[in-house]
Amino acid sequence: MSSSAKTARDVVIVDGVRTPFAKAGTKLKSVHAAQLGQVALRELIARTNLNVELVDEVIVGNTGSPSDAVNISRVVALNSGIPIKTSAVTVHRNCASALESISSGFERIKSGTMDIIVAGGTENMSQMPLIMPVAITSIIERLGSAKTSAAKISALWAWLMADLKQIKEMATTAPLAKTKYKPIIALADGLTDPFVGMNMGMTAEVIAKEFGITRREQDEYALKSHQKAIAAKAKIKEEMTPLYLPPDFNETLTDDIGPRDNQTMEALQKLKPFFDKVTGSITAGNSCPITDGAAMMLLMSREKAESLGYKPIARIRGYGYAGLEPERMGMGPAYSTPIALKRAGLSMKDMGRVELNEAFAAQVLANQKAFDSDDFGKKLGLPGKIGELRTEILNVNGGAIAYGHPVGATGTRLVLTLMKEMKRSQTQFGLATLCIGGGQGGSLIIENEG
Amino acid sequence: MSAIQLTSKTINGQSVAYLTFDLPNEKVNKLSTPVMLELRTHLENLKSSNHKMIVFQSAKPKIFIAGADIEEIKNLKTKEDVQNAVKNGQSIFNLIEDMPMPTMALINGACAGGGCELILACDYRIATEDSSTRIGLPETQLGILPGFGGCVRLPRVVGLQAALDVILAGKLLNAKKAHKIGLVDNVVHPNLLENFAVDQIGKILADGAQKRRKKFQPRGPVGKLLEGVLSGVVFKKAKDGVLKATKGHYPAPLAALEVIRKTHGSVDRERSLQIERDHFADCAVTDVSKNLIHVFYLTEMVKKQTGVANQSVKGKPVKHIGVLGAGTMGGGIAYVAADKGIDVRVKDISLDANAKALKHARDLWNKLAKKRVIDSYQFTQKMSLVSTTVDFSGFKNIDVTIEAIVEDMSIKKKVIAQTAAEMRPDAIVVTNTSSLSVTEMSAGHPRPENFAGMHFFSPVHKMPLVEVIRSPKSSDETIATVFELAKKMGKMPVVVKDGPGFLVNRLLLPYMAEAAFLLSEGMDIEKVDKSFVYEFGMPMGPFELMDSVGLDVCLKVLKIFKAAFPDRVEIPTLMEKLETNKSRLGQKSALGFYKYDEGGRKTEVDGAIYSELGLAAPTNPLTLQECTERCVFAMVNECALALDADRIVETPHEVDLAMIMGTGFPPFRGGLLKYADAVGAKYIADQLLKYSSERKANRLRPSVKLAERAASSLKFYN
Repeated sequence: MSSSAKTARDVVIVDGVRTPFAKAGTKLKSVHAAQLGQVALRELIARTNLNVELVDEVIVGNTGSPSDAVNISRVVALNSGIPIKTSAVTVHRNCASALESISSGFERIKSGTMDIIVAGGTENMSQMPLIMPVAITSIIERLGSAKTSAAKISALWAWLMADLKQIKEMATTAPLAKTKYKPIIALADGLTDPFVGMNMGMTAEVIAKEFGITRREQDEYALKSHQKAIAAKAKIKEEMTPLYLPPDFNETLTDDIGPRDNQTMEALQKLKPFFDKVTGSITAGNSCPITDGAAMMLLMSREKAESLGYKPIARIRGYGYAGLEPERMGMGPAYSTPIALKRAGLSMKDMGRVELNEAFAAQVLANQKAFDSDDFGKKLGLPGKIGELRTEILNVNGGAIAYGHPVGATGTRLVLTLMKEMKRSQTQFGLATLCIGGGQGGSLIIENEG
Repeated sequence: MSAIQLTSKTINGQSVAYLTFDLPNEKVNKLSTPVMLELRTHLENLKSSNHKMIVFQSAKPKIFIAGADIEEIKNLKTKEDVQNAVKNGQSIFNLIEDMPMPTMALINGACAGGGCELILACDYRIATEDSSTRIGLPETQLGILPGFGGCVRLPRVVGLQAALDVILAGKLLNAKKAHKIGLVDNVVHPNLLENFAVDQIGKILADGAQKRRKKFQPRGPVGKLLEGVLSGVVFKKAKDGVLKATKGHYPAPLAALEVIRKTHGSVDRERSLQIERDHFADCAVTDVSKNLIHVFYLTEMVKKQTGVANQSVKGKPVKHIGVLGAGTMGGGIAYVAADKGIDVRVKDISLDANAKALKHARDLWNKLAKKRVIDSYQFTQKMSLVSTTVDFSGFKNIDVTIEAIVEDMSIKKKVIAQTAAEMRPDAIVVTNTSSLSVTEMSAGHPRPENFAGMHFFSPVHKMPLVEVIRSPKSSDETIATVFELAKKMGKMPVVVKDGPGFLVNRLLLPYMAEAAFLLSEGMDIEKVDKSFVYEFGMPMGPFELMDSVGLDVCLKVLKIFKAAFPDRVEIPTLMEKLETNKSRLGQKSALGFYKYDEGGRKTEVDGAIYSELGLAAPTNPLTLQECTERCVFAMVNECALALDADRIVETPHEVDLAMIMGTGFPPFRGGLLKYADAVGAKYIADQLLKYSSERKANRLRPSVKLAERAASSLKFYN
């Protein structure tokens, strides 16, 4: 095993905690992303009895950028009791935004610039807005700058006409079809590649076809994800804090809303392909649901953690990001993992546990094939295959197909779940990796210290 | 050293006089007799000077002028003295109004009472937006009314309705509100005040340095009617409002209303001021006014105290508090702490219990948000300060934990030991017990010096009193920390020694028990309660009070008292009978002496209670005087022992502050012992002796200490 000596500037993870994740449009739909982040961070501070005065920076991943909290990291920090003096930055690397918060924190600490970082992510996908199209905003601008009553009346009339056209378009065109007057669905835009114009689901279709992943394989994988998640319910609770549901607090969310204990092959097989209606295999059942949630993590330099009396759970050994064709973004893990392994001085054989984000079952299965393929390895310029990604160590507690994928928070969730699982199973090394919309992969390797 | 500096400035080539108030060796400016004399001299000189304008300002950082000298008002004994003092003040402010050149006030900081009346006499007023800038006429709060022309000038400047709001409630306005009603002309940042004023003065001078007599212009036809021919409606409504709020116990707001009614719209200034003066003099010599001034001093006293005799001891800083128990008390404590910016972690045994505390706090802030007292951002900030847990996570960061769990000594001791083990060694634990011994409980804490009592009163967000209970082992540092924490939470702390019921409950118990005896002797529940509210001035009568405390709790505490003072405490059999009906627990079970609706509001006396207790329909054989005296004198009787024998507190001041802030004892009576002094210990002892023999009530016999005071005619206040 390639364990290296502990050094003072090692970057360690003291602890982490997350909110329950809930499928978009359910229990967390009215809880602002900043509030989700605050619940997780307040609990993290409490569990670690952290002296908040010592925090150097708060780094939070988020992709939705709520318009009333554009640097949401600062909002989360202040509402969590982090001092005014402490800087806060929001990072965005699409699906790996929260992983970016950890890798950014890693660099700041490794370099000796900082010692204590809060790294996390938060996302409320239920609250992603509908945006007025330019055809309407330009009329509203005209109204605002109208000087005479005649100009005002003319603009108001134009607005009314545009609204009528909007209603007509909404009634007569497909829900996701873009038209001149219909409101733009921010969520749908976010899930569409801005370079090649392909929906994320369609990119998964590309991979499924190229790697020959069948519908049945995908559905079987999806079913297992739910089964594993249901079986791991008690274990997963360790990483969660209850969320009292505002505004009335009549209900408290203590479990994820996502894993189904009644999921069956029959039900999965019945679903129609969502993206490619004719030859496709990607369904709502074998993809991850749109989800709300937040997760936070406390990073420190080893010397600082020791001087404060903390016993870290893990140390970060290395990370890597890589780019690939946007239309094959799901293969990202196969591109970024060799980089992370090389930086960590480790190989796939060393990995005891792997969390690979389940954006789509097809993409997970394709990655498994790619990892084990000499041809694919050579294509990446490696001497041979990346290394086998064994099913027994992959997503042992289920993955995003069950838990969901709150885009800006998932990176933290993966590392958190991985780290706690490695502690329980006493495995030395683990990999957290995900595919990134826009055509990237991200990987982070940690070593168990718990 | 003089209190007012005269300087001058040349603006647009013309000379402007600046009178700067800066009372030497004082934090505040006040209009004492010497200051007023100095002001008169300056004005007499300036009248014939060639200054083109006069500006009034203050050199104190957060104070413009805090008002007249309360000490002087307190010492005025006769109406003539008052009349002369007020007339003198009025004439000086008339001088300001009559200056040949325009006058301007630059207001940064508190501008209250006489200070506000001074600016009303000026032609122009500019205020700063600083949070310390508070303008208004709080005189009625002290049982008097604005006497330096405030009742006459304010309605002219801001209109009848706004003026009545300001004067009758006696509340101070921030700059924004003051600007809205037209009390000030402009509001600017404090750093801009000087230059902005220079610009304004430049304009006024350029316009020919005109005097201005600002007159309120009502908006719209309804406004015109209400300020004019229909003003009678406004006065009627205002009077009804005052009577409802004061139940007739406070003459000052009514007198102020009368002054405004008689002088509104009059052009005869001298006559108007004469009317104001007469009513002022009537009010100033009343006991009510003297008592309210006394209460004002009591609250000022707490501001200066630290809770310990040794002034070199400083409390530890408290940023994070823990609250054990998410019930009504715990939730209330979490609310008041977070409302003042303190981070609170509530711990109870279940998520459901914790959710209730969150809801309790949220509902209270929601009310404030609806009334626009706080905005949505403040709401979120405050709400985010309350977090909860079912374990002790986060307790290492906590400086003080307030225990508010079930009233059971052994459970409390166990939990306190557990809590102490989860906290830093220097952290403090306090108990919010209302009936158990803090001394005994302190044995549960491994470091009893870091343990004390902190007794809040219900409902926590409304009741200002906190009893800080010192056990023999509590350290000075602990007491100072808890005392300061209570103040930070916006409360009035009083340090009390440990003992059954501490101070307030020890005095209230005989009072409530006596009411139960009255009931068994044939008195009507509502009749007794009403007499306490409308005649004596309590916020609620003893029966309603028992309902709000909880009938089971009352009996439980009575039993504790009986055990502690077996020779003088008598448990009314009626209370024991009540215990058998488990659905009649008081307000919390919606049924007690009264019935309550779902919102917890009292609806009516439950007529069934008389027969349930085996009583005939009430015949009211006793006079209401006897009822009042038996209940209230029972408190005085017990207080003599608590103060003179047990030294639960050191001074009568603390007793009165605690009773007013903790039970709503009528402020116009100045507190229980001010009242006792007014009635006289001898009278109280005589009456108690009489009642005890007439009603065969040994419990009412004058205590040794009361008898001593009665014999020596020694007042509680010397």
